[in-house]
Amino acid sequence: MASKVERVFHGSGVSPGVVLGQALKLDRHNRLILKIHVDNVEAEVRRFLRAIEASKEQLAVLKSRLEENVGFEHSIILDAHLLMLEDRALNAEIVGVIRKDSANAEWAVIQATERLVHAYQSLEDEYLRERHSDIEHVVERILSNLSGDRPFSWENLPEDLIIVSHDFNPSNFATMDLHKVRGLALESGGRTSHTAIISRGLRLPTVMGLHGILSSVATGDALLLNGDNGQVIVNPSSERIESVRRRIEAVGAAAESALVQSEWTTLTQDGTPVSLRANTELPHELAAAKKCGAEGIGLFRSEFLYFSHPHGFPKMEEQLDVYRMLAREMSPHPVSIRTLDAGTERVSDSPDQASQANPSMGLRGIRLSLHMEDAFRTQIEAILRAGCDGKVEIVLPMVSTIEEIWQARELIAQVRSKLLETHGLALNAVPIGVMIEVPAAVLSLEALAKEADFLCVGTNDLIQYMLAVDRGNPNVAYLFQPLHPSVLHCLSRISEVAGKLNKPVRICGEISSNPFFAVLLLGMGFTQLSMNPLSIPAIRKVLREVPIEASRQIARHALSLVTSSEVHKYLISAVSKLISWDLTSYANEIAPPNGRNSK
Amino acid sequence: MIRQSVLVENRLGLHARAAAKLVRLASRFSSEVHLSREDANQQIDSKSILGILMLAASQGTRLVISIEGRDEAEAGEAIRRLFESKFGEEN
Repeated sequence: MASKVERVFHGSGVSPGVVLGQALKLDRHNRLILKIHVDNVEAEVRRFLRAIEASKEQLAVLKSRLEENVGFEHSIILDAHLLMLEDRALNAEIVGVIRKDSANAEWAVIQATERLVHAYQSLEDEYLRERHSDIEHVVERILSNLSGDRPFSWENLPEDLIIVSHDFNPSNFATMDLHKVRGLALESGGRTSHTAIISRGLRLPTVMGLHGILSSVATGDALLLNGDNGQVIVNPSSERIESVRRRIEAVGAAAESALVQSEWTTLTQDGTPVSLRANTELPHELAAAKKCGAEGIGLFRSEFLYFSHPHGFPKMEEQLDVYRMLAREMSPHPVSIRTLDAGTERVSDSPDQASQANPSMGLRGIRLSLHMEDAFRTQIEAILRAGCDGKVEIVLPMVSTIEEIWQARELIAQVRSKLLETHGLALNAVPIGVMIEVPAAVLSLEALAKEADFLCVGTNDLIQYMLAVDRGNPNVAYLFQPLHPSVLHCLSRISEVAGKLNKPVRICGEISSNPFFAVLLLGMGFTQLSMNPLSIPAIRKVLREVPIEASRQIARHALSLVTSSEVHKYLISAVSKLISWDLTSYANEIAPPNGRNSK
Repeated sequence: MIRQSVLVENRLGLHARAAAKLVRLASRFSSEVHLSREDANQQIDSKSILGILMLAASQGTRLVISIEGRDEAEAGEAIRRLFESKFGEEN
């Protein structure tokens, strides 16, 4: 049993809000292991025994294959795994837990083996200490055989869950029941990770970088999570819970009233119109986008349709339903649908998973779509058809060569003429935009832009590729600097080229939701910003106080500085002078992290 | 009941493969076979691989084996030989 001592963890709050709830621990394979009451205990025991039998059969096959290929001596390690499956002490314990607690087999397996794994990890002998990984392999096999005959169900879960995990694959957002999740507490990750971005979009309080929390929390423990200051308290005292509960109620009321004040048009202080749109990935974020006064969906990340799909590739009709709903709901505003932007590692059932050691530079985005033409045609057909129900646009992600645009345009034209000719559909024009997120695209922008109807700047990826920094890697996270002079020059060049060629250009990254950065972007000439819907009211309020000429001066000066810290310092002071209200809480968002080289 | 003392002589100690061999061998007999470290009291079922591994018996560890049942004499002899052969690993 976990002790009920209050323990405090500090991480970074990446999505604001304070919530109370109970922990739901995900194991390292993101498998949900939760205690579920079973009525028919003996049936559950039989289910467990079936999983053991299935595991044994699989291992026996593997073992004989290994014997043939590499010899008897090496196959003995699988013999050890087989013996673990047959271990009568362990099996008796697992069956005992199922019977005593009327618990599901998965939970019983974890209960019985977690203790064992800990015991091994505490052994002095290094070789034996490592044997815990053998146990984990065996457990993993049992669990996958258990899930084979009954998929995880959210049905019996309580409604105040806070997920505790090492990391959290964004695809989980698509499969989990969001009504039951109040927050996320993760050991790894950072502000600019996809998971953080989505958390903010969903208004899901989230804290990342909580080192060591997994081993101190058991599923069911009470948690108090503060996404504002990054604090997570395990088993909080009842006094603390009471004081927080009052605060949660007050904050909830204030947030609702702020949203209501959203207006539709955004103008700078001297009347320059700025278009603020919403980045969304889940259809139900649409309500937030409308409520916050988004002038369209600037970026719909379609991959979530894929992640949530049991076979990885949703049918045309399934996609059409979602796109059509977006088009209708946002009408008369446009909806930009970005075609599948995922690497093979994130699309299930893909054959190439193992071959991508470096997925962010691998077969992803438009590369993957051109590689899997049928899936791409299916998506294009759904988007073109949805164009009959409102203003719809296509955005091609991860473009690095002009040929990719040519090929994609050719495929789109083929799908279009097929729909026109064989189905006799009356289609509207659907503009085709290109994501500018690879440095190669920025440097060849003059040529690329001529092939595009509009441009979208994917700042998160652009910064990552520009600075050669994996934003999820804590060792180099301090180098992920949105205010790096190279990033600013890159953005400035994009605005300049787009202006010269008269192509609409939109910033579709997290940075535009930061008031300081938004003013800088305005000064560079960007008048279309797309961000998570909930940031729109604050950005609108800021831009209304900024004269366009002042923002241009700020941009000019920022571009002359040589370090991120200088740019940060300058932006904070220059923008704060223009704004009548306190922006301090936004200043840290873009601060260069406390890395070794950012004094 | 037979009690006998054996020495773990193989270099790697009672690691996974050696333990697997011991479990397989002990399971061939109907007798109950228990192991304990000479320096500790906890008795381990030698038909449980997880138990054997938990003994953390490295090279040079002395173990006490207690065997009880119809075929205890044969079992004792076979197990003693397995230890003496260093689990067939260092031939």
